Amino acid sequence: MGVNFEQMTPFEQQELERNVLFTSLEQVKAWARSNSMWPLTFGLACCAIEMMGTGGSHYDLDRFGVFFRASPRQSDVMIVAGTVTKKMAPLLRRLYDQMPEPKWVIAMGSCATAGGPYVKSYAVVKGVDQIVPVDVYIPGCPPNPAALIYGIHKLQEKIRYEAKHGKRVTSQ
Amino acid sequence: MLGLVKGLGITLKNMAKPKVTYKYPDEPLVMPDRFRGIQHFDPEKCIVCNQCARICPTDCITLTGKKHPDPEQKGKVIDTYDINFEICILCDLCTEVCPTEAIVMTNNFELAVYSRDELFKDLNWLHNNNTHIRSENSTNLMPKAGGKAK
Repeated sequence: MGVNFEQMTPFEQQELERNVLFTSLEQVKAWARSNSMWPLTFGLACCAIEMMGTGGSHYDLDRFGVFFRASPRQSDVMIVAGTVTKKMAPLLRRLYDQMPEPKWVIAMGSCATAGGPYVKSYAVVKGVDQIVPVDVYIPGCPPNPAALIYGIHKLQEKIRYEAKHGKRVTSQ
Repeated sequence: MLGLVKGLGITLKNMAKPKVTYKYPDEPLVMPDRFRGIQHFDPEKCIVCNQCARICPTDCITLTGKKHPDPEQKGKVIDTYDINFEICILCDLCTEVCPTEAIVMTNNFELAVYSRDELFKDLNWLHNNNTHIRSENSTNLMPKAGGKAK
């Protein structure tokens, strides 16, 4: 989709400055993306059990278009569920780099958020945001499946808000 | 042929059963009473005994007290009370140990945020978090099982 910037009427110029041409398309894209977020099947500790439970029939993540994928090449979201040790950190970064854009990260549980009970350990990364950019933090040890669903909804809202307003969401 | 009918029989039986999926985002999910959500704090009940901060396994509670504004009264009143909810593991020990039940558990679990800074909960936030408070908080107040009620 090429745009000839030189032969543009003042009206088109004005519309382009207001981003009217592109925001609606971005919103459609955000709507599609937020309703089909495929997370990477990536569990590190006990939080992964809750994540699996969320995928089960009682909480049923499939309702929100969230399907676990076995390959980072096919996934949009990485749910970091569990303790990230310093040995696992380079592998986590590699998996994140293998995911195609656009990609998001949910830090699930206290360990992924800040180290949790292992905050004084020498072998644990104190927060996964030191390795990858995190979009949503879910506290809890582990968060129950409903809290994970709430976090996924927060991420969906964030994707839609960012597309609508073109601003990064960093706080409530 | 019999196997097909048998398999289809299970399918048809399950079709008649009620659905097990919770309608969570549409309807609020009510957690059982001993669920461990985020704490509620009542500054008027607190006697600044520091037991919650000392028992916390991750040292996520920090509190300071000041002298009672009324010089006649002994003891202290709470000045600041912060829970670093990034590392709180919701073990319930702070509410178990609290002698005046100033800090109690609630059932609130919707805590996901976009920034780590928001997980630092201060006194005002914890005081305003006053919904779904656990009805019986301390196990010390519960009647002993098997014993006669006095």
